[in-house]
Amino acid sequence: MTGSEGVVVGLIVNPVSARDIRRVVANASGLQIAERTNIVLRALSALGAVGVDTVVAMPDRKGVRVLLERSMQRDRNLGRTLPTVRYLDMPVTSTVTDTHAAAGQMADLGVAAIIVLGGDGTHRAVVATCGRVPIAGLSTGTNNAYPELRESTVTGLATGLYATGVVPPLVALVENKVLDVSINDDEVSDIALVDVVASTDRYVGARALWKTGSIVELFVSFADPEVIGMSAIAGAIEPIGRRDQAGLHVALDPKADRRVMAAIGPGMVERLGVTDWSRLKPDEARKVAPEAGTLALDGERELELSPGDRATVTLRTNGFRSLDVGAVMSWAAENNKNLTDQQKNTDQ
Amino acid sequence: MADNPFPLDREGLLQAYRTMRTIRGFEDRLHLNFAKGEIPGFVHLYAGEEASAVGIMMHLRTADRIASTHRGHGHCIAKGVAPHEMMKEIYGREGGSCAGKGGSMHIADLDVGMMGANGILGAGAPLACGAGLAAKHRGDGDIAISFIGDGASNQGTFLESLNLAAVWNLPTIFVVENNGYAESTSRDYGVAVDSYIDRAAGFGLPGISVDGTDFFAVYEAAGEIIDRARNGGGPSLMECEMVRFYGHFEGDAQTYRADNEVADLRASRDCIALFRGRVEGAEVVAAAEFDAIDAGVDALIDDAVASALAAPEPDVSALMTDVYVSY
Repeated sequence: MTGSEGVVVGLIVNPVSARDIRRVVANASGLQIAERTNIVLRALSALGAVGVDTVVAMPDRKGVRVLLERSMQRDRNLGRTLPTVRYLDMPVTSTVTDTHAAAGQMADLGVAAIIVLGGDGTHRAVVATCGRVPIAGLSTGTNNAYPELRESTVTGLATGLYATGVVPPLVALVENKVLDVSINDDEVSDIALVDVVASTDRYVGARALWKTGSIVELFVSFADPEVIGMSAIAGAIEPIGRRDQAGLHVALDPKADRRVMAAIGPGMVERLGVTDWSRLKPDEARKVAPEAGTLALDGERELELSPGDRATVTLRTNGFRSLDVGAVMSWAAENNKNLTDQQKNTDQ
Repeated sequence: MADNPFPLDREGLLQAYRTMRTIRGFEDRLHLNFAKGEIPGFVHLYAGEEASAVGIMMHLRTADRIASTHRGHGHCIAKGVAPHEMMKEIYGREGGSCAGKGGSMHIADLDVGMMGANGILGAGAPLACGAGLAAKHRGDGDIAISFIGDGASNQGTFLESLNLAAVWNLPTIFVVENNGYAESTSRDYGVAVDSYIDRAAGFGLPGISVDGTDFFAVYEAAGEIIDRARNGGGPSLMECEMVRFYGHFEGDAQTYRADNEVADLRASRDCIALFRGRVEGAEVVAAAEFDAIDAGVDALIDDAVASALAAPEPDVSALMTDVYVSY
């Protein structure tokens, strides 16, 4: 996007990711607000270095905005140049509604891409409303099966190189799978980026998913034994890549003879009983087990089911677009030499 | 009745509702009667925040100790202080929890582990450390909880207590009840790094945040941190994000709040209505049973007020008693 604000990139920082009970039950890390702000500042430096003019940001009342504005003022006092950061004019509820609203507004504005700080849940909330705007994820959550651990300076550089048109979309962007969840023929619908877990519990409570005894089945868009979370269970059985045109369904039973060891959360290695599994084909609606009482999406219990509810899960291969940071940096270095050119310009 | 999908049995659910409704009924009546000029001193009401006190306190034993705040009525009721004695105390009458000489901000009842509401912001945290140290030495698995508001968590006593609890690995839990306002100051203007969990992290404590208007979220998370403390896992911090239905104090014009803010909160984030809706919706408790509890609470509060009004004021001869403890 280039208009009166020049090249514009969106920024969504979840100030409350990595705050749930897993800090207590599993020593999960909790990134401090000050550190989240530092991550943003580094990304802003990189965006500014490759010519992004404006960053449109989600406002919050949890400290990130306040701290970022204070830090940027200090940087300006020191003569440092950063893109203009403009906050969306929207009510702040300090709930996931903010992320939905912000991502939707950014899509309407036509931002080139959205940088997202959070875990799987945050990215899921952005994807719900960002449409075809690509996202560049930075992992600051608890379960980070979707977003990769990367230095924000590099993600900022890659985002800027794509946003300014240096690297073409065909190189920079990749398509990601999602799982569509439907209850009672779309009376309620939702999505998951990585996993849908059905358990017999019937309340969302503290939301985080850390007790496995009541899980009856899981659906994953990719199955990776290296990640943290439910995808690791599936990955321990039959790995399926992020770009493969398939997902996996796994049926679980604590009494099953076949045991699978997986890191279901930070610091939580469990052995789970598996009774059956099968590949999910794209666009094939799978029925959720009738005994399910709660559906957890990307690691958090979200949907409570009543007896008689009919729920389905469907793998969709064109769920959302994201930035392939590695591909952008390699292409820029090998084909366009823009990294070298910009260094020269700076020197002059 | 349908299968119970909740983490409490039916009796537990009814108890939780009864206690939350008792707090609400108590506070709503004080709101009315304060405006009539019946009540001396300052009163800070807990209405809207009930799920925090009850969701936590349902895990506690009588011997567990809590240190409360200036907004302490809810903590008192949830910990088991008798509403009739509390009402007399707030009205400044004989028979009150502290003989009618303390008032709203100084209700205490050590027999049920309530070390006191507290008119000094941040002063409860060191008390909870002391109770935690005593429990640790006794080795009986008791714990202590310090409740503190988001504004008072800026006090040095609170930060020193986090440090002390961490280095001594005390069975002490810090609950930051974050209703968004330090008196009338939004946290945006009063807290440098607006995360209470980050403060815990600075002292090496785990910290978590829960929706303090969701009873089940509070109950589940509190169960984990309390078990942890009982079993030697040491201190932790829990932030309950909650809403305040009345002003900072009774008489507060609340000009710092947005138009319709309170009405919106009452409509969408009333913890008692949310609790009742879910339990009724799951057909575990019938509406008539909840209605009966409501009626019982109303009668209880009527009687508590009547008994407070009927009780005499403390005699002037009591002025110098209860000042010092004799050993």
